[in-house]
Amino acid sequence: MNFDLDADQRDIADGARDFYRGNASPSAARAGLEGGRLEPGRKALADIGFLGITVPESAGGSGRPLLDLAVVAEQGGAVLAAPSLVTAARAAVLLADAPDLAAQLADGSTAFAVLDGAVDGSAPSVDAADATLFLGLDGGDLVVGEGEVVPGRPMDATRGLASVRLTSRRVLTADAGALWARARQVGAVVMAAEDLGGADRCVQLGVAYAQEREAFGRRIGSYQAIKHMLVDAWVGVEQLRSLVWWAAWAADSNPAELPVAASAAKACAAVTFERAASTLIQVHGGIGFTWEHDAHLYWRRAKVDRLLLGDEAEHLDAVARLAVTGALGGGR
Amino acid sequence: MDFDDSPDEAAYRARVRALLEEHAGELLHLAPGQEGIDARTHEAEMRRTQRVLAEAGLVGVTWPREYGGQGGTLVQQAIVGQELARARVPALINHIGIGMCGPTVITHGSQAQRDRYLARLLRADDVWCQLFSEPASGSDLAALRTTAVRDGDDWVVNGQKVWTTLAHVSDYGILLTRTDPSKPKHAGLTMFVVDMHAPGVTVRPLRQMGGQADFNEVFFDDVRIPDEERLGEPGEGWRVALTTLMNERVAIGGAGGAIGAPVEEFAEHARERLPRLDPERQVLARQAVGRAVVAALAARYTGYRRLTVLSQGGIPGPEASAGKLAGTEAGLLMADAGVRLLGDDAVYAATADGDDRWQRTQSWLPGISIAGGTDQVLRNILGERVLGLPPEPRNDKTAPFSGGTR
Repeated sequence: MNFDLDADQRDIADGARDFYRGNASPSAARAGLEGGRLEPGRKALADIGFLGITVPESAGGSGRPLLDLAVVAEQGGAVLAAPSLVTAARAAVLLADAPDLAAQLADGSTAFAVLDGAVDGSAPSVDAADATLFLGLDGGDLVVGEGEVVPGRPMDATRGLASVRLTSRRVLTADAGALWARARQVGAVVMAAEDLGGADRCVQLGVAYAQEREAFGRRIGSYQAIKHMLVDAWVGVEQLRSLVWWAAWAADSNPAELPVAASAAKACAAVTFERAASTLIQVHGGIGFTWEHDAHLYWRRAKVDRLLLGDEAEHLDAVARLAVTGALGGGR
Repeated sequence: MDFDDSPDEAAYRARVRALLEEHAGELLHLAPGQEGIDARTHEAEMRRTQRVLAEAGLVGVTWPREYGGQGGTLVQQAIVGQELARARVPALINHIGIGMCGPTVITHGSQAQRDRYLARLLRADDVWCQLFSEPASGSDLAALRTTAVRDGDDWVVNGQKVWTTLAHVSDYGILLTRTDPSKPKHAGLTMFVVDMHAPGVTVRPLRQMGGQADFNEVFFDDVRIPDEERLGEPGEGWRVALTTLMNERVAIGGAGGAIGAPVEEFAEHARERLPRLDPERQVLARQAVGRAVVAALAARYTGYRRLTVLSQGGIPGPEASAGKLAGTEAGLLMADAGVRLLGDDAVYAATADGDDRWQRTQSWLPGISIAGGTDQVLRNILGERVLGLPPEPRNDKTAPFSGGTR
């Protein structure tokens, strides 16, 4: 039993934290709502190697396990970075047999997006707004093609959501249902990791304010009404962290557990991030409700992410269906 | 990162499993659906079960060898716990002694006390209880009023304790008393080992909301305790008690062990019962099942993280309180969904065929949110000691206890 990050993974997390803090911020997320450029952007993520973490070395990536990518994604989530590493992780799974395309994913020379829903009119899909090449599931086959992009008005600009209608397509892998499902589970794990980073940051910001702000003659963090709200958010973050690590580990080390672990992590992420972001606003009072404060940017991310790649209800249902078939894992 | 046993751990697990099979005939086992055995009716068998396990080296795994333990690791302790659960051996009669009283004697007792008590405790030759709460001091434990007054070589104890689990079968207890009311509340306390068979000790069972009577009220009328049975220095009782309480929070949920039903049993129950609900109810019930399973898995894997820290030499810290909070929540969600899955039978105390497993679990879980630190006290501990939030202002910590500000 060794359920902890190793020294390498801690180094990766430290490096990612430094990179993201220097190259992205909630301010950029706010500017994005009014048409500003998203940070750090696809090229910077490619240059530092984050888009290719799980792409095989033979295709120009790092060939690292999903857990390494999840550790990086958490740091990106903490500062609301864009684009998401969800697409990088998901596309890396789908492009396992297309090394030329995988190389373009890793080096950032092609802007990929993975489409949810029908390819002739997709559901809002992550980072599709500025993508040029799309992966989708068409009649059970994995297809790649160019498309016409219709972005919606963003609730959270950092997700780059848009609907896409493919204008060209070719089959990459026939009968790819299982591959597609695995890629979506991997994507759910990475989104849960980004949500973990965001939720953790919300708790930190809420605690910091509660330690300073005074009301009725004392610091508000001393009131149990405030303290217990923050503790509940923090306990949720620690539970989520355990599920994210387990699910990311399972993706490479015990794939049979990935479906239940990924759904558990995604369902937990949906409620945990939303609660942490709502708590952050409430602890701040009026200032937390302003455009200038960062709280609503986390809240927006939480409100959007909870519905992407399957909402809480879908994943709870999946967990229940898997549990009753005895798929809970090793029974350790 | 991995969840497998190391070769050493795998060998240890195999040995434990073999021992449990070898001694199966001498041990109590839980029937299917049964989660505990009443010490009131099965005291002798429960003592024998623990003695057999102790002689096989499966009790007090982490305790030092000089006190009858095995000098083993926390991971070995966890393996023994998993294998006992797998073999369906019920909780040991002396689980309070092993989890809380014994560690307190090891940390704060004299050499004579350690020699006198610890090996016998592990064998259940003596059963122990923890005499802390009082009618007027529950969460505010340091407000307790049971007094111990020095008289020659003895102390004379008067007062009342309450919610004392297993007092009705106990031979000894650790007893927190007030020895100096002129000091502030935390500074005037002293801990003792008390002989539960001494003259003046009266135990009365208390019936819990679920109908069982696992705990008691205990009265002390001029009970004499020799000074050599003091645990720690006079006035140091609060520090000694904190050792007990920290061990308690680790024992309840700290390492991610299930509170209530194990998630696998819950899943099996759902597998049987879901198809018997009408289809529209099944959709809703799966949401409740999924929510409970997610909470249980999260608590389990968070426990694995804590166990990893402990196995690398870390010491149990206040974050163990988070394990109890999250484990309790998961247990409540499973119990609630477990009862709902019974359909029309959910409103009765048992199903038509007499199965009351989920109703019983539902009726004892409220006690877990209270015992060993209420959910609210634990949130205060986590908020102040882990998140670093300021404490509530208090006016009871500096004034003499006898001064009226309690």
